[in-house]
Amino acid sequence: MNDIAEDEITGYVAEVRLALGGLPEATREELLDDLPEHLAEVLAEGNGTLVERLGAPSAYAAELLAAAGLATESPKDMSPWVRPDEVRERVLRWLRAVDVRVGPVLGYERASEFLVLLRPAWWVLRGYLVAMVLAHLLDGGSGPVGLLPRIGDSVLVALALLAGCVVASIWFGRRELPDKPWPRYALWSGTAVLVLLALAGFAGADSSSRSTPYMDATYSGGSPYDSVQDVFVYDSQGRLVEDALLYDQNGAPLRLGSQYCVDQRTGDSWTSWQRGYPHCPQVNPFRSPPPSPTDDVTPSPDSSVPASAAVPAASASERPAGGAVSPSASVSAPAPARSSAPSPSASPSR
Amino acid sequence: MPCVDTTQLLKGVLDLAVLAVLREGDGYGYDILRRLRAAGLQDVGDASVYGTLRRLFANGFLNTYVVPSDEGPHRKYYALNAAGRAELERNGKTWRGFASIMDDLLRDRGTA
Repeated sequence: MNDIAEDEITGYVAEVRLALGGLPEATREELLDDLPEHLAEVLAEGNGTLVERLGAPSAYAAELLAAAGLATESPKDMSPWVRPDEVRERVLRWLRAVDVRVGPVLGYERASEFLVLLRPAWWVLRGYLVAMVLAHLLDGGSGPVGLLPRIGDSVLVALALLAGCVVASIWFGRRELPDKPWPRYALWSGTAVLVLLALAGFAGADSSSRSTPYMDATYSGGSPYDSVQDVFVYDSQGRLVEDALLYDQNGAPLRLGSQYCVDQRTGDSWTSWQRGYPHCPQVNPFRSPPPSPTDDVTPSPDSSVPASAAVPAASASERPAGGAVSPSASVSAPAPARSSAPSPSASPSR
Repeated sequence: MPCVDTTQLLKGVLDLAVLAVLREGDGYGYDILRRLRAAGLQDVGDASVYGTLRRLFANGFLNTYVVPSDEGPHRKYYALNAAGRAELERNGKTWRGFASIMDDLLRDRGTA
């Protein structure tokens, strides 16, 4: 018997002894008494390792206990160790119970029957997730993650990558599961990583889309700056500052309004080429009265103000004209006006 | 699961089978296992045989003795004692009675 076989036997015996931990020591050692010798015989058969030939040490211990009529003491519960195969067994039993319990709610005998129907949908989703991960890796993670697997800015490339990954995923899904355990483990762990990445990406996208209203005042609903179309900056002297550039506390340029100008009075509209604010200096809301009428965009209300201010004088002179006074009054009027005595024209109105 | 589970059947008669094997001659654990398998009980588990031997010994049906081995550790041999022989005879009768009932049952129904 070589050293490797001896190590294997010692290890197997130790694990069986551990699984029998709930028994009194004398009983346990009695059960284990001829185990090393037996294991040596089994190994000498040359039919594989002890675990392959006899099963897991815990299973061997359980069978030994059952056959010896000692199983009622349930040493498994008394053992302080929870073995991985026990955990797996317990989880699987629980999953089977859930499977049967949830199935009728969905209208199936078992929930797994329904989930099997969803497999093609998972393949499509998997293709999308792979495309997103690939794009993120190839793009160097430069920009924020959008909804398309973009490499650079091309939508076409993004759509081609997406279509390729989805088709590949469906093709892969329709194949049989690999027989060997390692490719299967690789597939499962790859899927687990993909799901984790997807959850992380989803959480990130969710939080960034929720914080958008605070980052960009023009984008969201409910912001007081929704109706802002242009910005006018004045210096301390009240003079309009042209081509002003606005930045936030992070140095990011503030983009408010649009380059599209509309003159409310004339209805004219045009596109502004101003780089800074205001985009449309012509529609300055606090424009001081124009110093000269040469300004071709003089607002019409401004010009109407002096006209209405003149109305009382005009009406004063018109009323007598509408009255019983003869036209001679208007003829005589200029004369007293020059002598700054309007009484003759005013008196008939009373 | 088939209606007749050989593993379950084996559990019920393993005591009897071990006693019967030991009637032919004393043996150590691995030797007894090999003889059971050679007799046709291919599915018998290693641990089941050792557990059964331990229980039969604890119930007083077997004697043990140790034989030093040349190449490996000592070997624990099991041997039927008087109580074991009586147990074998009693259980053997029970089994033959049971087996003949089953035989009749199956023959009457035309399935055997």
